[in-house]
Amino acid sequence: MEKYVITLCDGTTCIQKKSREIRTALEAEIQKAGIADRVAIHLSGCLGMCAKGPIVIVNPGYSMYGNVTINDVPEIVQEHLIKGRPIARLTIDEDHLYNRFFRVFGDADFFGKQMRITLRNCGIIDPENIDDYLALRGYEALAKVLTDMTPQKVVETVKKSGLRGRGGAGFPTGVKWELTAKEPGPEKYVICNADEGDPGAFMDRSAIEGDPHTVIEGMIIGGFAIGSNKGIIYIRAEYPLAIKRLEKALADARKNGMLGDKILGSDFSFDIEIRLGAGAFVCGEETALIHSIEGARGMPRPRPPFPAQSGLFNKPTLINNVETWANIPVIILDGADWFSSIGTATSKGTKVFALAGKIKNTGLVEVPMGTTLREIVFNVGGGIPNGKKFKAVQTGGPSGGCLPEKYLETQIDYESLAAAGSIMGSGGMIVIDEDSCMVNMARFFLEFTQDESCGRCTPCREGTKRMLEILTRISEGQGQPGDIEKLERLGNMIKKSSLCGLGQSAPNPVLSTIKNFREEYEEHIHQHKCRAGVCTSLLTFEILDSCVGCGACKKVCPSEAISGKRKEKHAIDPQKCIHCGQCFMACKFGAIRKG
Amino acid sequence: MNMVTPLELIRKKRAQAVGRIISSGYLSTKRVYVGMATCEIAAGSKDVMEVFREAIAGGTLRDVYLSQKGCAGRCNLEPTVEVIEEGKIPVKYGRVTRERAREIIDRHLKKGEIIQEWVI
Amino acid sequence: MSQITIFINDKEYKVESGQTIMQTADHLGYHIPRLCYHPKLSIEGACRVCIVEVEGVRNFVASCAYPVRDGMKIRTNTKELRQTRRDIVELILDNHPEDCHTCERNYNCELQRLAYSMGIRRRHFTGEKKHYDKDLSSEAVIRDPNKCILCGRCVRMCSEIQKVHNLTQAHRGFKTVVMPAYNMPFKESVCTACGQCINVCPTAAFLERDYTQELFEALNDKSKIKVAQFAPSVRAAIGEAFNLEPGRNMEGELVAAFRKLGFDYVFDTQFAADLTIMEEASEFLERLQSGGKLPMITSCSSAWMKCMEQFYPDLIENVSTCRSPMSMAGSLIKSYFADKIGVDPDTIYSVATMCCTAKKYEAARPELVVDGRRGVDMVVTTREMAWMIKSAGIDFLNIEKEKPDSPLGMSSGAGAIFGTTGGVMEAAIRTAYELYTGETLVDIEVEAIRGLKGVKEGKLTMDGAEIRVAVAHGLGNACQLLDIVRKEPQRYHFIEIMGCPGGCVGGGGQPYASVNAIPLDENALQKRAQALYDLDRHKTIRRSHDNPDVQKLYREFLQRPLSPVSHKYLHTHYHAKTPRGIIPRVELK
Repeated sequence: MEKYVITLCDGTTCIQKKSREIRTALEAEIQKAGIADRVAIHLSGCLGMCAKGPIVIVNPGYSMYGNVTINDVPEIVQEHLIKGRPIARLTIDEDHLYNRFFRVFGDADFFGKQMRITLRNCGIIDPENIDDYLALRGYEALAKVLTDMTPQKVVETVKKSGLRGRGGAGFPTGVKWELTAKEPGPEKYVICNADEGDPGAFMDRSAIEGDPHTVIEGMIIGGFAIGSNKGIIYIRAEYPLAIKRLEKALADARKNGMLGDKILGSDFSFDIEIRLGAGAFVCGEETALIHSIEGARGMPRPRPPFPAQSGLFNKPTLINNVETWANIPVIILDGADWFSSIGTATSKGTKVFALAGKIKNTGLVEVPMGTTLREIVFNVGGGIPNGKKFKAVQTGGPSGGCLPEKYLETQIDYESLAAAGSIMGSGGMIVIDEDSCMVNMARFFLEFTQDESCGRCTPCREGTKRMLEILTRISEGQGQPGDIEKLERLGNMIKKSSLCGLGQSAPNPVLSTIKNFREEYEEHIHQHKCRAGVCTSLLTFEILDSCVGCGACKKVCPSEAISGKRKEKHAIDPQKCIHCGQCFMACKFGAIRKG
Repeated sequence: MNMVTPLELIRKKRAQAVGRIISSGYLSTKRVYVGMATCEIAAGSKDVMEVFREAIAGGTLRDVYLSQKGCAGRCNLEPTVEVIEEGKIPVKYGRVTRERAREIIDRHLKKGEIIQEWVI
Repeated sequence: MSQITIFINDKEYKVESGQTIMQTADHLGYHIPRLCYHPKLSIEGACRVCIVEVEGVRNFVASCAYPVRDGMKIRTNTKELRQTRRDIVELILDNHPEDCHTCERNYNCELQRLAYSMGIRRRHFTGEKKHYDKDLSSEAVIRDPNKCILCGRCVRMCSEIQKVHNLTQAHRGFKTVVMPAYNMPFKESVCTACGQCINVCPTAAFLERDYTQELFEALNDKSKIKVAQFAPSVRAAIGEAFNLEPGRNMEGELVAAFRKLGFDYVFDTQFAADLTIMEEASEFLERLQSGGKLPMITSCSSAWMKCMEQFYPDLIENVSTCRSPMSMAGSLIKSYFADKIGVDPDTIYSVATMCCTAKKYEAARPELVVDGRRGVDMVVTTREMAWMIKSAGIDFLNIEKEKPDSPLGMSSGAGAIFGTTGGVMEAAIRTAYELYTGETLVDIEVEAIRGLKGVKEGKLTMDGAEIRVAVAHGLGNACQLLDIVRKEPQRYHFIEIMGCPGGCVGGGGQPYASVNAIPLDENALQKRAQALYDLDRHKTIRRSHDNPDVQKLYREFLQRPLSPVSHKYLHTHYHAKTPRGIIPRVELK
């Protein structure tokens, strides 16, 4: 085990300031000193301290050195790594809230490439102990707001930070706050949308389970900013642990005077209650969510009026998603200027992604906006397992698009992803390798959105059904010439005319796979071929000469399509074959060809 | 009239919180953190937690601060257990089972041996 | 409100702000196609047929929901829009039975008209269609989810206007379907049978239970004596089914048509309306004078009857025990009249033509059975009767007018105005005043309780006593009024409630809206009401107690209002009902 772990910032600014040369120098110096077996060097993504870059962090002990030059390298090696004496003159002492991970837990290879703002405490603190949160400056942002900020100032700060809604659409959060604050009171509501419904997404659940107080603190600050006394967390009932931890956190916050009447001795009162959703995907849409809280069927309604003007019980309502709320305390304490220094021109801060699919490090990652898809998939995510070839990455959950290799350099931000034909969404990211069929993939997602459509508007309810039928027949080998054009016509129509975001984005998986993998669709339709071997109806099975005649395939064939004498080559009757693939799996000799 | 500002109040609360954490044994020579989010629990972290709890309750494991934590994002390697010693690089174990937990107690926590093959 | 400038299809217009694109375009002469929109209901934004293009907005917007803004550039008819709208309507058709030739609403179907005007001449997307069983459980309203296009008008009508909340969308995606709570059969649901869902449905997802074939059969049955009666508002509306403008009184034509269809006797429900007033006014005065339960609430409307039993059982004692005019006529036909012509009441087949679907439900209420028999054997709606007249080849518009038969055919003007909101109250006031004071009320047109305001209030003084009255039409308005009564029981003495918007003229059995009209158009309702007020004005006898046939009936049979005989034939009683889907009030507390 190494004695020291050095983390070197590999963000754009630090690279410009020669961080890579410093790395070479460090490696050489360490080699020279003969301590290479005791020191590991890791590169990290942007650490958010560009002004003081290049940044070098030495652990254990979390010595953070700023403005490091090549000339400082020998001193770092000699003094710190060999003599164990941290160097005071290089040390920068900035108490930022984020990225505590390195100083506490290491695992620098995985976490070093991330930047953890909203997940800053997740995996560090005991989520059921408010003391842990308080110890890491918990509720200090709230206290700061109550001590020396006006509601207007809070709104301005959030606006200035450039934070945008993390639920998917990316509406500027500060503008939303401003609009809600402008509405006349006194009755207004603050809602936290924790109705995470994307298949494979668990960002919100993990954030709440790992650090419930940060969401609560964000909401109280939001309540103060817009002049509301009542908050509601709408969370799906399928998240019992998250609910339990929220309930505990709310009770602890109340006990400690952070919720309830006259918070922390100020004149501001605010309380939060939890409402459970029954697991309808569409209830993540804000107007449907509001209907659900009101006790009605969760169905979106046309906007305007927006919830900021007329939301819950027709009162002005501020709805933000879990991740958005979790950003607020950091923005207040570390400042809007600092926050807006992270990310791209239009998208500030970080974004959490749930990495899933054919990727080594499946898990939850938080990276600065502007990180490329390639960095996420191949660096943070560790690339594709089992030596398979990367095919596409699907962002934005069931409403997102599939982006092939040529889009891997796309920088993560709302506009770039949209331009590439996908969406940011709430942060699902599914990696697809060569074993996946894009037609089948599109069909899977569309089946989900069709099942979850609220059924109110025609394009989404009827249109996605027709698209699904076409996709199904294509994957069953019944595709007809013109089907691709029909899919495009329906898809574009549904996108442009649906009532809510669900319908407006439901065709994305289909349209983006047609755009990027059109040849696969054509193969399915015209050649009745599925190159990934996924669409079983299109598969043909053939017994090769290497067959030893063991009879294993014959035994498992449910349609008695296989014949042959023992110890002689068997044969499959294509008329009887139902393409189930049992024989292929049963053959121990690789004597059956699937294609 | 009490003129304590919210900021002063929260600082006091923080100091008290830190005091409580320390008095619960935070400054023990070793700290053990077991991941306890839904995903980790599903992977079996409750069993792991139980092994550590029993060891401490039974008196076989002394001077160790045990705590739970949320999901750190290492889904494919769960359940995870961290062992932290002041002044040393933290050690994080992945795919910890009951058996592995017992070995971590015996070899790492008692004898100071880092079990390299399970380290993430 | 301020003046703003907008552009529609590149033409500049100065318009009022604060309106939707659709409202503005309507004023400017652009009729944007629409389907789920209804001016009386909340904005659903569901069908997406009314989409338009707004410059600077990425997607098409629903013009029914989107407000106009200064400088807004709107396009209503681009190539892409036309194709999109066309495709949307085709998607609806793709999941619709398309059995137009055999559909009840052939030629009266909004979807059919829309499909034609969208120019759907070829199909692109046909696929699976929904398949559900019809709900034929109710004697009044039947539901065919296969015809439903999920515009949500019925849901909104039932919950927003009627506040019955019987219907909602259930399930998701392609499987979405409108149903009562727990998918209960209509008969066992909280449905009040008002039939307003039928009125607003653009297709045939809701219909009255059709009795026309049985009626044709009965009319051919020589062993039966066929007796007809018809409601005041039927005559004011049936012309619309023959393409007449709303508001033509077709009383004479109707009587003639009934006889041509084979009825042996034709009576007028307006006669029974006069009788109702005699009983109801007397009941009111008795309550007033002997300290009975007040306010007294009228009981003519069958949908209201069920609504009250379900949602306001605490007010049962406040409701008049008088049967509706239809049921009074029914029980007299099978007693007094049968006696008069000397026949066994069981040989009489009594049929009522009503503006109402709930009357089908009422006729079957066991509380109304006298001597083991129903007073009304069958109820058909205005729509059914219009179809029968057409089907029988009767030249309705050119037919010679005829008069109803005696002894249950002659009516006062007060009986006629029963068909519109406020009419019962006005008629009751005319009689009660005279019964109470002994003086004739001169100014008999009570303007305060006329018109289409949801809840109307009025006051009159009788011998120095102030009588406060209120009138509500539509069950939603009724609920609003009754919630006041619950809080302030002393506020009113007498209340009239009609279950349908506009009263019976807006009943659930009235003719469908014509090609360029919307269902329940206020203008049409007012014209129908006006026809009845005109009828009143042209009558010599305008007070129920002055109707000589009514007086004769009391002399010969009933003795006096509220007599034991009256009670047997003309009064009824109510029971609290708690169909599944209702939480009894006791539990609520």
